[in-house]
Amino acid sequence: MSMLPSCREVSRLLSEAHESGRPLGMHARIHLGICAVCRRVLAQFAVLRHGAARAPEEGPSLSSEAKARLRRFLNG
Amino acid sequence: MTDPSTWVDAYGDRLFRYALSRVRNEASAEDLIQDTLLTGFKSRANFKGDSSELTWLTGILRNKIFEYYRRQAKEFPLSPSDEESDPDDEFFDGRHWAVAPRDWGGEPALKAESVEFAAALRSCLDALTQNVARAFILREMEGVTPQVTALALGVSPPHLAVLLYRARMRLRRCLERTYFAPEPT
Repeated sequence: MSMLPSCREVSRLLSEAHESGRPLGMHARIHLGICAVCRRVLAQFAVLRHGAARAPEEGPSLSSEAKARLRRFLNG
Repeated sequence: MTDPSTWVDAYGDRLFRYALSRVRNEASAEDLIQDTLLTGFKSRANFKGDSSELTWLTGILRNKIFEYYRRQAKEFPLSPSDEESDPDDEFFDGRHWAVAPRDWGGEPALKAESVEFAAALRSCLDALTQNVARAFILREMEGVTPQVTALALGVSPPHLAVLLYRARMRLRRCLERTYFAPEPT
């Protein structure tokens, strides 16, 4: 059996490293050096976080009924 | 500080979009905005003007979102048997990817800033179980620390890691199919 972790194991290690901010271990880094697909997933986790953490600048608005209700509420 | 009676028109839509991207339900988002505006109104003497009013109100809203999920986790606790089974069986065949993740094309980080991404993420979050979605929203969308997220959700840190792993893997695959690299039809 190979000493190197499998794609299955590396995907978990990538998520954990993403979580903790700690660097990956040597065996996982060697795996990434030879596995383009796992490198892709590493980058995609970062893209996911980047997009998810943003405040949406456009999109749905409050309905006019909801605004009227909130205005009444604030005016006591 | 501006007159609070102008807040709904000035900030209502932006606060609503923020809330809706995090709670996935219009009625709950509206309730959170109402709570936020009320808290802002009551504590307006605390506003020092170091940040904009919108940033200040968004900070209040983020606390409300955290409390919303903490309450939900108390009312509907996680069921460990649902989420601790081997979460990567659906992605792997033995040691290797069952379906290899595809290339997301040029500048995916830029593509992740679009309105279309936000809509696709919302729909992919809807497909997650509540437990997995809560973990992702608090940790990744709201930036709550792992320790505080685990405490709020009533799970151990290793269980939180499993929930987040599952969320990332499922969202990655869902966004690939629906937004970044859909298969040609």
